[in-house]
Amino acid sequence: MAGRGVGTWLREGVWEIPLRRYLALLVTLCLLTGLFFGVRTLTHDDRSCAPGVARPEGSDECVGVATTAYDFGHPQLRPTVRAIARENGRLKAGSYVTVAVMLPYTSTAAANLADIQHELQGAYLAQYQANHASNGESPAIRLVLANPGATSRYWREMVTRLAAMTGGTDRLRAVAGVGQSTDANMKAVRELTRLGIPVIGSSITADDLANGQQGKDPYPGLARVSPTNTDEAHALASFAKVSAGRAMLVYDRPGDPYTRTLQTSFEALIKGSPHLAQPFTPPADRSEEGTTANTFRQIALLICGTPRSIDTVLFAGRHTQLRQFINALGARGCQDRKFTVLTGDEGSYLTGERSLHRDVLGPTLTVRYTALAHPDAWGRGSPRTGGSAADMAALTELLKSAVRAPVGPVGPVALEDGQLIIAYDAMRLAVHGIREAVPEGRSVPTLADVGLQWPQVKGPLRVSGASGWICLDVHGNPYDKAVPVVELRPGGGSRFVQIAWPEGKPPGAECLPPS
Amino acid sequence: MHRRLHGRGALFDVEPAGLVPRIVGLRPYQHRTHPLEHPGELPFVVLTGARGLGKSAVLGELRDAYQRHTPVALIDCAEAQFAAPPAERPAESWSPLAQALLVVAEQLAEPVTGAGRIPFPRLMSGLVAVAAGGWGDADSERIRREVERILLLGESGSWISGFAGRWAGKVAAKVVAAATGTGPLVSGAIEATLESVAEGFASRRHQKASVWYRAYPNAGGHAQRGLILLSGHFRAGGTSREHAERYLVRALLADLTEAYAGVLPRMQRLGRPLVLVDNAQTGPGPALLDAVLRDRADGVADHVAFVAAVRGDGRELLRNAVRRELPEVARRTGWTPDAAAPSSRALLVALPPLSPDDTLHLVDTPGAPRLAPAVHRLTGGNPLGVALLAEAAVQNPERTGALGELLTAGVRLTDEGPAAPAHLQLLDRLVPADRLEELTVLAAAHDHDSACALAAALLPDDFGPADVRALQSRLTREGLPAAPGQFVGDPFVRTLLLLRLHLRDADHGGWRTAHETLITHYAEYLGTDRLAPFRLHHQLALGKAGAAVDHLRDGFALLDARSWLRTLRFIASAPYFHAHDAEGHDSTGHGDRRAAVALGRTDAQQPVPEGVDAVLHLRVRRVLHAVWQLADPLVLPDPKVADRLRFELEQLSNLRPAGNALLWRASRDWPAAALAGRPLAEPDDDEGDDERSGVA
Repeated sequence: MAGRGVGTWLREGVWEIPLRRYLALLVTLCLLTGLFFGVRTLTHDDRSCAPGVARPEGSDECVGVATTAYDFGHPQLRPTVRAIARENGRLKAGSYVTVAVMLPYTSTAAANLADIQHELQGAYLAQYQANHASNGESPAIRLVLANPGATSRYWREMVTRLAAMTGGTDRLRAVAGVGQSTDANMKAVRELTRLGIPVIGSSITADDLANGQQGKDPYPGLARVSPTNTDEAHALASFAKVSAGRAMLVYDRPGDPYTRTLQTSFEALIKGSPHLAQPFTPPADRSEEGTTANTFRQIALLICGTPRSIDTVLFAGRHTQLRQFINALGARGCQDRKFTVLTGDEGSYLTGERSLHRDVLGPTLTVRYTALAHPDAWGRGSPRTGGSAADMAALTELLKSAVRAPVGPVGPVALEDGQLIIAYDAMRLAVHGIREAVPEGRSVPTLADVGLQWPQVKGPLRVSGASGWICLDVHGNPYDKAVPVVELRPGGGSRFVQIAWPEGKPPGAECLPPS
Repeated sequence: MHRRLHGRGALFDVEPAGLVPRIVGLRPYQHRTHPLEHPGELPFVVLTGARGLGKSAVLGELRDAYQRHTPVALIDCAEAQFAAPPAERPAESWSPLAQALLVVAEQLAEPVTGAGRIPFPRLMSGLVAVAAGGWGDADSERIRREVERILLLGESGSWISGFAGRWAGKVAAKVVAAATGTGPLVSGAIEATLESVAEGFASRRHQKASVWYRAYPNAGGHAQRGLILLSGHFRAGGTSREHAERYLVRALLADLTEAYAGVLPRMQRLGRPLVLVDNAQTGPGPALLDAVLRDRADGVADHVAFVAAVRGDGRELLRNAVRRELPEVARRTGWTPDAAAPSSRALLVALPPLSPDDTLHLVDTPGAPRLAPAVHRLTGGNPLGVALLAEAAVQNPERTGALGELLTAGVRLTDEGPAAPAHLQLLDRLVPADRLEELTVLAAAHDHDSACALAAALLPDDFGPADVRALQSRLTREGLPAAPGQFVGDPFVRTLLLLRLHLRDADHGGWRTAHETLITHYAEYLGTDRLAPFRLHHQLALGKAGAAVDHLRDGFALLDARSWLRTLRFIASAPYFHAHDAEGHDSTGHGDRRAAVALGRTDAQQPVPEGVDAVLHLRVRRVLHAVWQLADPLVLPDPKVADRLRFELEQLSNLRPAGNALLWRASRDWPAAALAGRPLAEPDDDEGDDERSGVA
């Protein structure tokens, strides 16, 4: 064969001999197939992160609905998602309905992440309780994690995915959580409710992310566990006895639904105040630092220039800006003046915040805020209605068992920020609605029926939440929900001050909202 | 890269395919299939022809063309290994055919592209059985030697080659033990072999092979008994041995058929196995041919492509075979066997001599352009002659001026071998070596009588007329054509023999005696015109032209033109070696005086006899020498002599109104034919002959 071409060899040494020809064809076929798959694997842009979770075009965020033990890249969420996956795996096919916990799981800010972790832990504990400690009531609850992205930019992808899960074996019946009261989340909730999917907001407090605005229900099927900003502001006012001559407003401009409703509520409290309200403009992503620190230094100067009658600052902003403001106010020139900063539930984020200059807190500067829930809220001296220590104790018991299997582990828990408690309550409300909606003789409710249950949650059908009684009005908003007022401690953490009531007093034992 | 044979395209061509690709199913030198012309039974191709026509060259070329592409075996039946058994081996356990089968199988077993070795378990068992018949008083060492060679045929040549080697050794030891131990010798050896065949290989193929001899007549379903019978038949000799040998051939073919049967072999092997048998007229050849053809006639099919070569025309060997000339089979054989005659399953293909064009391609001497036509005229297209002269011309470029000198020049055929005169080397291979001396003398004869006269004068007493006849018929049998008027019909061989005769004695005594004997022989019939040309022919061969000139001069007026020309041509066909002096004795010097005479340069010194036409006398003399020179195959025709011949014949035609046209035509044809390397034909051979048309 020497001196003869490769072509001759192929023709005579391979092709002409049938055995070699077929073997060569087989080998070639295998090589081509391998090449095809190899090239496809190399060139294919695998945008999926986990089943149901993928990166949208032009983004590295994994958004969508995670049905497996996927932690969205955050190791601190891992114990909880594993616990959820374990619990989901125990469920028998056909015996469960699905509840999605919608939170911005891909957020990178430490405070948000701690929040998310706590909410997820609360939701899981409620799921575990619903599946194990409810006397065999059906259906069982399966939890999935719905992520619209850190800023909820990809809410549409998430909603599409959730809508697809309402049928089939998933049987999605409710979405709990939602996260913060942002514009994108509002759109997501609007779309979800438009599609007939019931939504249970856990920590949303904005007034316009609620039904019953001027008598309209823009989000049919939305229920909330936390009081609205207005209610919080009312509770705060009833607690602090704020009046126009003693308070000054600092607010986010243009703001988001949360800050706007808080601002509106505060403005109503100090109507006629002679002192100009001071606005600031944070970055679009309000968890970023931005340049607002400079603004707050100026505002601190301005505050020092006010008459000495002013001793209360009403802050309508998010927690990052609140922290910057407190730091700026702590460095104010007029250290001889005492100030109390009052704000909404965003203050709860600062309980574990490292960048906060806690040394400025003290007799001359107190920061009080309305928490969504607080572990110390119920105890001796608590009112007899509107909530009970026993309800909180049930959660505490559950938490103790969650340290190890079979319930846990769920990772380190913290109750002070109230997120775990409120998420637990929201999930319990979801379970309550789902199970109440189960028709006679069936084990699974229809999607539409779940959302119709919210107005019934009152009186004996109320949910005795760990954060207080949850009695919903006809719009799905909590009626006279207990609002714990909390003070940031200089040494870290928070101190429960007192329960305030939006109505000025605890609800009656029957807990019937006025219709 | 390939050594191509000239003028054998009808066998080797690819597009369109020649005979061999069509029966082998493979293109030569390539590993590519070709459609078979006879997909069922195929003809046993036998190439026929005299010595030197290139049969062996064709077979060698075929082996080169198909080696490593398909199993090929080439045996020369004239080889010494097929003539007699090895020194220590008794004749009762050896036959040429058994030896040939062993050699053929050894060659066929070699692996080819795409497929491994072919095992021959059936033939192996048979050959062991035959060999065992001769181990009566053999020592174990001899038995081991014999049996090991045979056992190697059983190797399947799988990648476990080491295993196979051990197997052969083990079986050999077993067989030796059985053969030298007590008990029946033959059956012991056979049993050991058969057991080893059956046990050594687990494959189904070997199991099948081990029971193949069950079908041997009277074996009663026992393979071992069949083999014992085979061994006995072989030893018995005569027709019994023929029968046993046929069975051995059948075993070989069955092993080959087995190697090509089944899905896997069909996917691995292309074409058919090729067995080439040279000199099939001798040694094991006839028996092999007979066995294969009879089996095929009996319906025992095989798919082996046989190409044999037979010296002569093969008429005795294969009486009813289909006969074809080579060009006839170039595209289609048109062969169909006759069920009644086994020999009709052979296809005899006569190899023709080379064409002038082929000669031109072989004799590639740019320095001597007229050499190639002259070589073709001398050899008549004999491939051996052409090839050897071409080689001589390459080795002796200074002697290409005359073929006579080229033939006497030394030629070295191999790098190491001694140089020998070309004509002797040619004679070694063109005539039977045992009759070279006799033929050398008898080449000068024209018929049986003259040959007897020569034999009586020059050959030993024990070579009588009967031997002359035997020699003549042997020449015919070997394919040398008989020609009227010549004892040795083939002009090329005759020329070579005469050259040898001339050079045999330093003083050319034998040469002179031979011609003088013939002159005397033909002189006894002096007075009859019919024999005068013979006498004059031999006188001319001795250089004596005077009588011939007188005869032709006188005859010019008496004879008709055709007879005169014929006489002229015959006399002038006398051989001419060396220069002759004025008295007709050949001198030792080289040189050709014929041209000088023909061109009239010696006319002045030439005495003209009294009372004759001096002009005609000299003209006839010039014409005689011109024709002599131009018709001599050993010299290159001289264009000047040819031109002069044309002129002289023209002049003669003017003198003969009656034969005018014939002479005039000869004046045109003969010079042209001589220059083109063609023999001088009688003018009336051509069409448009005036005289003949006048008679008609």
